[in-house]
Amino acid sequence: MASNVDSAIPPHTHAAASMEVPLKTSAPPPEYATRGAGGSKKHAVVDVFFRVVLFATSVAGIILLVTSKQTKLIPVAPGIAVSRAAKFNNSPAHIYLLAALCTAALYGIITGLISVFASSKLKFHFVILDSLLLGIMASATGAAGGVSYIGLKGNSHSRWNKICNLYDSYCLHVGASVLLSLIAATTLLLLVWINVHALSKKIARR
Amino acid sequence: METEYKDVEVVNRKSSFKGKKLILRFLALTLTLIAAVVLGVDKETKTVGLTLVTTLPPVPVPVTAKWKYLSAFVYFVVANAISCVYAAMSLILILTSRNASKLVSMTIFILDLAMVALLFSAIGATGSVGLIGYQGNSHVQWDKVCNVFDKFCHQVAIAAFMSFAGSITFLLLIVFTALSLHKKS
Repeated sequence: MASNVDSAIPPHTHAAASMEVPLKTSAPPPEYATRGAGGSKKHAVVDVFFRVVLFATSVAGIILLVTSKQTKLIPVAPGIAVSRAAKFNNSPAHIYLLAALCTAALYGIITGLISVFASSKLKFHFVILDSLLLGIMASATGAAGGVSYIGLKGNSHSRWNKICNLYDSYCLHVGASVLLSLIAATTLLLLVWINVHALSKKIARR
Repeated sequence: METEYKDVEVVNRKSSFKGKKLILRFLALTLTLIAAVVLGVDKETKTVGLTLVTTLPPVPVPVTAKWKYLSAFVYFVVANAISCVYAAMSLILILTSRNASKLVSMTIFILDLAMVALLFSAIGATGSVGLIGYQGNSHVQWDKVCNVFDKFCHQVAIAAFMSFAGSITFLLLIVFTALSLHKKS
């Protein structure tokens, strides 16, 4: 494939330029050139971009969730105040969210590297793994969102008081983390869509 | 000769996939319908002794637990109703259009995936709120309620399990579609 690009360049141009071009084009996997379609290359770039977005949003979510600890003085009786901390690991739903975000970050970086350097025959496996991780991320977002909503609004029927009027920065951190995990789940949804679209287009071309 | 044989085989496999997919879709329809109805009719009234003054005997007070009181449960019922209606509509669409066009099958795949995300998030929300109801959370003084409303909590657990089975069915539909695409390519 490198010779293909080389032949496109006139042979009598600067020697330095013709040296640089093959170096640049040798980076992407050879499948793009052999398939010969511009759409496939564009799709691969979009695929890698979405995987980077998935990694970035889940890492940001992890950082926000881990740094969400807030300590406040709570008055228990007149003149007496107890310092109490709100941490994310007080609630099982948020521990689950952290685990899911860690999985998504790891998965995003690994599959991103694979789709840059390895062959695109793995696309089919990516569709299944992506949809599985989509299920995990969606359930983690739902779990953390459901509990955080009770923390924000409270529930008078079961006498669960809201806590976000006390721990404001804690709630801000957790809420932003839930939002980022929602974005990560949406990214996974888009990833599956574009991969299946590319697969079906490949079939239609035959 | 060789290619003809291959074509026949592909067609056969495709039709067997189609039969399996129809059964799975019907299963998803049933399971999400059961989940929505089981949580939708969930209501329990109990009489609890409330101690107003320590010297007097406790006053009996009727308390009610309803699915509408918790927003996570409302979300669960709505999500299951949506995916149930969608499963019915896609079943009708597949059965009426014999040789489905590419656009129809692609749209159905995309919406299947959206249903997976919707159902899983609803299960997550219901599961986490149900866990607080079952165990309570001592850090924020949220007391458990399942020691009073036992039948209510059992019904929530059954609904969550049914919905989980339904979402696994949608996930299997995705896997089968990806498999048939992979076989063709």
